[in-house]
Amino acid sequence: MVMYIGGAFQGQDTLAKEEYPHIHWVDGECCSWDELMEAEGVLNFHEFIKEQLRQEKDLSSLAEEMLKKNSGLIIVSNEVGYGVVPVDAFERKYRECVGRVCTKLAAGSDKVCRVVCGIGAWIKDA
Amino acid sequence: MIHLITGGSGSGKSAYAESRIQQFDIDRRYYIATMQPFDEESHARIRRHRLMRKDKGFETIECYHDLETVKIEEGASVLLECMSNLVANEMFGQQKSIEETIEAVRSGVENLQRQAAEIVIVTNEIFSHTSFYEKETKDYQECLGRINQMLADMSSDVIEVVYGIPVEHKCQAKMYHHIAKCAKG
Repeated sequence: MVMYIGGAFQGQDTLAKEEYPHIHWVDGECCSWDELMEAEGVLNFHEFIKEQLRQEKDLSSLAEEMLKKNSGLIIVSNEVGYGVVPVDAFERKYRECVGRVCTKLAAGSDKVCRVVCGIGAWIKDA
Repeated sequence: MIHLITGGSGSGKSAYAESRIQQFDIDRRYYIATMQPFDEESHARIRRHRLMRKDKGFETIECYHDLETVKIEEGASVLLECMSNLVANEMFGQQKSIEETIEAVRSGVENLQRQAAEIVIVTNEIFSHTSFYEKETKDYQECLGRINQMLADMSSDVIEVVYGIPVEHKCQAKMYHHIAKCAKG
């Protein structure tokens, strides 16, 4: 598993697609749970989490299931936890959930690339 | 020595800070809890943290403001969590100004320095956001931002935890070579 993460509009999707131009990407904003488990790459993974939370799905074992069923997945996700604590309860739940899921995925990933201004830094490279 | 741990929401900085303090060869361990519970969500958060700390040998001290009054055993290690709550309590609970809050935190941390051998401080990155804020939220951001800079200056090492991965921004503590990422930039 490889992760490309960064703040909004930092070019993590462009960098990942350059690195893996021939794989099948799904979009986290509209892909299903099953599609995620079979995809080669996922863009906007944070949007997948938001959509699942909107549907009130239990995400406590999402990371474990992904690592078990799709350990070769390339994940592109925004980091959403760097703002002031949101007033809205759903927003608070969402940003914390992105953090918890991605922390578990990062622990199971071989490599994690953090992208700032389109420039990637490998913060984990096993 | 002070070790400053920062990161975003749900980044794993607490778990990292707890593992960090266990690396010191000091049996006497304090946990300074700064979060004042006011609703079920904060109680749940506190329960989760207590469970994480269980069996790690911490004595918990609740300190919501006035850190300079805290007394601990000489030579102990201290984990303070979290600076963002302490600053909010000083500003909004105690009605302190930005300058007064910064001074309260400075003298509070200096008070800990006089007593503890090792201090791990957890703070928070709340500075990247798309929304417009009201003045008091901006003041809070400015205050915590300036305090983070002050603490980084006082610290031997500054680590940002990104999804559980420690990214070193400052490292003078040479004994932690095995985890230092300085060489990698």
